[in-house]
Amino acid sequence: METENTIQHQPLSDLAVTNLNVSFSEIDVLKNISITFQKNKVNCIIGPSGSGKSTLLRSLNRINDDAHKIKTSGTIHFNNENILQKNQDLTELRKNIGMVFQSPCVFPKSISENVTFGIQQHRKLSKAEKATIVEENLKKVSLWSEVHTRLNESGNILSIGQQQRLCLARTLAIQPKIILMDEPTSSLDPLSTRAIENLMVALKETYTVILVTHDISQAKRVSDHVFFICNGELIEEGNKDQFFNIPQKAETKEYLKNEACIC
Amino acid sequence: MSRKLKNNLFKGSIYTASFLSIAMLLFLISTLIGKGVSAMSWEFLTSESSDFGSKGGIFYQIIGSLLLTLSAAIISFPLALGMAIYKSEYIRKNAFQNITNTLIYSLNGIPSIIFGIFGLIFFVNILNMGISWFVGGIILAIMILPTIILSSYQSINSIPVSYRENAASLGLTKWQVIHTTIIPRAINGGFTGLLIGLARAIGETAPIMFIATAFSGVTFPNSFLEPVSSLPTHILALAQQATNPQALQNAWGSSLVLIILVFIFSISALVRRVQYSKIKY
Repeated sequence: METENTIQHQPLSDLAVTNLNVSFSEIDVLKNISITFQKNKVNCIIGPSGSGKSTLLRSLNRINDDAHKIKTSGTIHFNNENILQKNQDLTELRKNIGMVFQSPCVFPKSISENVTFGIQQHRKLSKAEKATIVEENLKKVSLWSEVHTRLNESGNILSIGQQQRLCLARTLAIQPKIILMDEPTSSLDPLSTRAIENLMVALKETYTVILVTHDISQAKRVSDHVFFICNGELIEEGNKDQFFNIPQKAETKEYLKNEACIC
Repeated sequence: MSRKLKNNLFKGSIYTASFLSIAMLLFLISTLIGKGVSAMSWEFLTSESSDFGSKGGIFYQIIGSLLLTLSAAIISFPLALGMAIYKSEYIRKNAFQNITNTLIYSLNGIPSIIFGIFGLIFFVNILNMGISWFVGGIILAIMILPTIILSSYQSINSIPVSYRENAASLGLTKWQVIHTTIIPRAINGGFTGLLIGLARAIGETAPIMFIATAFSGVTFPNSFLEPVSSLPTHILALAQQATNPQALQNAWGSSLVLIILVFIFSISALVRRVQYSKIKY
């Protein structure tokens, strides 16, 4: 079991949120959130529905920018730069912070074109490079053996679980440093869920993973560090064992026991 | 009145309405075929008309109509596509969105004769472009613009938000998102709208008769600024000679050809719509 001391010596990621406030149409969704994510770990954000987990995640790559009447204050530092600045290069940011969404979204293209969809918008790829990228990334998500004979077929023919792994491969192909995952298994069957969870654990060797989930048992299975958010506020954080075995706050205890929020 | 009787009455009335609509359409088409087919021959389709249309064929009228619709398509398609993309991707405020909707629907509701008069005053008189097929193409393009805009816009709107978000999350710029996910879909929808618009444009008489066509003595234009013959105006000219049986027969034949062209555009639009509805989004 990891101790408090070992946690303090964990390398912190290059991503830190300080005093983050987000509101939509004057309704506060995140209140004064300050978080530093652990590098090369699975950072799990848990909390009840509507607590602001996804808003927090979506603020990290500013995919929320186009949302109607959104107001954001505070700072999010990535590589020592505040990414909330107006002149932030969003293309560069999103190349470094990739994202996998709740439901798989396969473009109406072939399996191989789906993998290279993002990367080929950033740089010109030769045929050989494309083939290498497709194979490499499909192998990373354990999909290669299942699809290597039908790479030119539409991505839509795959099962939902395979589609989600294809989306992950597409994200990995742009070579991000951090991967955001917004409840990526919520539409999957138990077998596919387990496959994605195994991938999260394997991926942390190379990437920092930030996972949003409302599934406490999933957080127990995959997380290294847990953040509990309720009603837009960070209630408690800690390493997995500490958080699940000896929660400090009454709100956390209640949530872990009854999945209810008393904030 | 019992619920069952109400149900049967409602069922009966919609069956009658459907039957009457189909019967009228079938009557119209069968009359056209019955009367028009006797005028139809290879010579009729490929020879030049003479004696104000009562003799000869409709070759240059077909060419003229196709030239007008083709130019309308080339002018209107990129404009409509641009407008549909601007409307869906760049206009945020509800008020402005409502204004553009009102303008587009208003444009769609303008009687076609007004387009003709506008073309006559603005292009022919003020810009001094003369009576030419190019001006006719511009006016027809303006007329079918709303159909293509709305069709493209509906296609774009049917793309789930998740596609834009997924593309953006891969580091694509707004233009790249539009280029890779929006434009292909907009083109598909817009093309269907274009075919529907062209089916309407090819049969229009009023907008082009003052500005783009000559009733007789015109062959293939040598430049942008020359008039053409067209099927609708040719039918109008022949109808005015209704006492001449040969002219009347040619009018039926021309009408049949026009309806066949309209059908080709409409059926193509239908086929494309079915094809693209199969794309899984």
